[in-house]
This record gives sequence, structure tokens and C-alpha cells, in this order.
Amino acid sequence: MTRQSIMRIAVAAGVLAGLGVPASAHHSGAMFDPEKTITLKGVVKEFEYTNPHSWLWITVTNDDKTTTDWGFEAEGPSTLFRNGVKKSDLKPGDKVTVTGRPMRDGRPAAAWINAVKEDGRVLQVRTLPPPVTTAPVTPAPATQPGGI
Amino acid sequence: MSNRKNAVCVGAALVILSVLLASGAPAQDYRNSTEHFEALKRAANGGTKLTFDKLPDWTGVWTRAPGGGLKFDPAQPSLQQTTAQLRPEFAGKHKEKLERVAQGIEWDPISNCIPPGYPRWLTEPFLREFVLRPEQALLINEMVNDIRRIYTDGREHTPEDEAYPLWNGDSIGFWDADSLVIHTTQLMGGQYQRSQPDYTDQVETVERWRKVDDNLIEAEVMIYDPPSLVKPWRVVQRYSRVTTPGIRIRSWVCEENANNEVIQTKEGATEHVLPGPGAGPIMKNKADK
Repeated sequence: MTRQSIMRIAVAAGVLAGLGVPASAHHSGAMFDPEKTITLKGVVKEFEYTNPHSWLWITVTNDDKTTTDWGFEAEGPSTLFRNGVKKSDLKPGDKVTVTGRPMRDGRPAAAWINAVKEDGRVLQVRTLPPPVTTAPVTPAPATQPGGI
Repeated sequence: MSNRKNAVCVGAALVILSVLLASGAPAQDYRNSTEHFEALKRAANGGTKLTFDKLPDWTGVWTRAPGGGLKFDPAQPSLQQTTAQLRPEFAGKHKEKLERVAQGIEWDPISNCIPPGYPRWLTEPFLREFVLRPEQALLINEMVNDIRRIYTDGREHTPEDEAYPLWNGDSIGFWDADSLVIHTTQLMGGQYQRSQPDYTDQVETVERWRKVDDNLIEAEVMIYDPPSLVKPWRVVQRYSRVTTPGIRIRSWVCEENANNEVIQTKEGATEHVLPGPGAGPIMKNKADK
């Protein structure tokens, strides 16, 4: 994919080491690719500050001058608020650079990690968990029994 | 043995005895959750009826303490390693679940906006409020406006002929000094959290909640589910005070954005419908859908 307005960085584990699939409130996050990260420049179309997930929609101009609306999914308002992201921070028409974990099926959507506004302010939407591991399933030692 | 040594031994024995009495007895000795709860109640002399001015102060906004993530037991080494001692059938189901998750195949029942249900309720990562009254405690999770109601007025559980499965079960409790002891029955089956084992509709729990300090509330939970667990499962859940200026708990409507609608594929994976910006609420029964 070549798009002038898209800084698409297919990142294998390492470039953004330590970033896994974000835990998701209401549905599995397995539809997002934990091995890839995309960064897109675009213009805010809509910021849906909703439960159980919020969506930031940005319009990205492709090389052929067509446009694509990309959606970035985050947690709901209270989680965003605790991360310092308010509804008023992203208004239609704002220019932003957004980073996320793209969907495995290639549709234009991603699990939202952060957004950088034109003035350089970083909106850190998520603190990501450690990378997904495929360690063998072995039971851990049981916790000490207690009396409650 | 000298008199001094004798005194030390007797003192140590009394300390151990007093601890055992205060906690009832080691939990593994109880045959079921009811026996466990009743023993704790007897040890607390039936519990204390608290008036408003004597209730602990648990006001504020709280959330699950860092480190838990999707792990039901925060003490378990990883998401893939449960501390539950599962019976073979449930251990096998859990292993299979983890293998499917590793392949990106996962479906969470709450994707359809049903509540998580208790005991999973303990692990949801959102805002919480604990409202204490003399006759009941309301343990509130912001997610889907989910309330556990703990009756502390001395009533018994709902009689068997009136009982039916409930998302958060039927809870009664009592105050043991500054601890709230809770017994919960009449639950539905479910999973402890995504990537975590399943529990059956026979699951029952005994909990002891207390405020450790101004910024931490702790719940020690003993889970009884004989069909799935070899022995009762003890976990400690912790909730931290949220200090974000201006934070408020607001109404949570799960269906307000159709971009959050997902479907389960034939293979069991989760797939977004994703209608796009400005989709509005989910209205499954709309004539034009």
C-alpha cells in the first residue's frame, strides 16, 4: 500500500517493543494484529465518545486523491478521561497523526494507541499490556489457602 | 522447660487459636460456601449491626488496582497460567480456549451487551463505587450500570422455591468489625474473564471486603464450584482510589454506538460490523436492518 498521506509502518515486534493487543472492555481484541502498528495522518471526521468503546474517525487522503475513513477504537469515556483525553480534544477538521494496531482482516480500522495533534500534543489513549505470549499452558502454584 | 519458655509457648498457642477463631477455620475444611459463611458468622457473634455513624468510610471512586488486567487472580504469573485447580474437563476446555485465542479466535458473551455477571464482575476494569448503608451495601461497577446488592439487615437468602439464576446472584452479608463478609449464591455459569477458565451455575462465593488504607480496598474471595474446581479457589482482588480530578461515574449504555456491534463468525471469532462514522445506536430490530 502506498499512500503519500499515510505513514504506514508495518512494525514487527521490536520497533515498538512491548506493545501487545490492547485489552478491550466489551469484546475480544483478537481481531487486531498484535504484530503490526500503523500510523496515519488525517483529518478528524468524528470523535464518538461512547460506551463501551469510543471511536475516532479520521479521513485519510490516498495517493490517488481518493479518501478513506479510518476508525480507531478506544475504551469508553471514563477510561479516556482518566488518560486525559476529553471529548473536546478532537474536533472535526483537526489534523492528527494517529497510531494503532490494525485489524487482521485489512479493513480500515485499528485499536487506537495514541494521537498527535498539530500542535504536538500527544493524546495517549492506552497503556498497552505486555506482548501476547504463547508460553505453554502450565498451571501455576496454587495460592496459599486462607481463612478469609 | 523454663517458666519463661512455657509462657512463650502458651502465648504463641493463644495467638494461633485466636487467629483461627477470628477466621473460622482454614477454608479447605469447609464442605461448601454455606458452611464457610455460617462459621464466619458464628465467629463474629452474628456480626455487628452498624448504624450510619459507625459504618466505614468507603466513599470515593475506585477501580481495579493495576496489575490485574484480564487475569482473574492478580497473583497468577500470566494470563495463560491460572491458579485455579481445575478438574480435568475444565482444564482441557481452558487449554483449548487459550489455543484458540492464540490463533485470534475468541468470542466474549458480553460482546452482545449482556452483563459480565459475578464473580467475573470482580475483574472488570472500570470505575466503581461502594455505597454503605446499615441495611445493605451497594457495590457498583460503572460497566452496564452493574450493581451488586448485599443485604446486611439479617435476612437469609431467597428461599429455594423463589430462587432463580441471577447475573450477580443473591447476596447476604454481615459486618465483622470493619470487614464486610458476603455470601453469594444463585448465580449463572460463565467465565472468570477472557482467556480465563469457566465456572458453572453451581458457583458460590464467600468474600471479606475491607479498606486497607485510604487508597486501597481489598476483597478476599473464596470460590466454591465443585463441578469445575478440585478445591475452593482463593483470590485477593484489590481496588485503588481514582484520583483523576473531575472524575464522575456516569450512565453506561452499551448499545449507544453501532460501531461497537460485533458478530460471532462460524469459526467462533469476533468480527466488527463497522458501519462507519455517525452510525448511531445499535437497533437490532430496526425494520431496515
